[in-house]
Amino acid sequence: MPIWMEVFVLMLLAYMAGLGIGWSIWGRAS
Amino acid sequence: MPELLQEYWLLILAALVIGIVVAWWIFHASRRTRVELEDKPSESGGAKRNQALIDAPPVASAAPGPISVAATADKVAATSAIAEAGAAVSAREAIRKTADVPPGETPEAQTARPRTEETAQADDLRRIKGLGPKLVSLLAEHGITSFAQIAAWDDAEIDRIDAQLGRFQGRIRRDDWVAQARFLAAEDIAGYEDRFGKV
Repeated sequence: MPIWMEVFVLMLLAYMAGLGIGWSIWGRAS
Repeated sequence: MPELLQEYWLLILAALVIGIVVAWWIFHASRRTRVELEDKPSESGGAKRNQALIDAPPVASAAPGPISVAATADKVAATSAIAEAGAAVSAREAIRKTADVPPGETPEAQTARPRTEETAQADDLRRIKGLGPKLVSLLAEHGITSFAQIAAWDDAEIDRIDAQLGRFQGRIRRDDWVAQARFLAAEDIAGYEDRFGKV
């Protein structure tokens, strides 16, 4: 796997994790 | 993998922050906007648009007078036809009877009198938020000139009037004219401002 793809996947995972954190803070409350 | 993290941690952190910001916008900011729209219609963009309509130059401000006089003439013609059992009464005589104008007066005086009587009873409907000059003239065509009349509307009446408002359809319920008119008819300015913002 080329290195840029590994970085891309990591960034995607981090983005998803951010969405999850945001959802747990603001999404569940209402 | 650990070397990769060490090398690109800044990019990954940026992606995480972007994810959190997007989630905040989706779950918090956009929802809050919708709630504000429902709770405070006066503060929303719709109110600004309405204000722009209110500030717009009156297109048909002269319309209510002659039309309402004509409407009165129609009504009187109908009632006099019943009362006098088929007696031939012209529309001009009918107007004269309602306004109690002596036959010697000029036609201008005859038409002016019912109009001033009407404006004396009429409220400034533009105090209702979302109701501009065009709508005031439209409502006047249907004989609606006071807050009390609007406050007395029920659902069926709202539907009937709404169907005749053309491109303004849906305004009555969206801006809750009936509740606004109730406050204004009762001169309850404090209650009005509490719910709809400054008059």
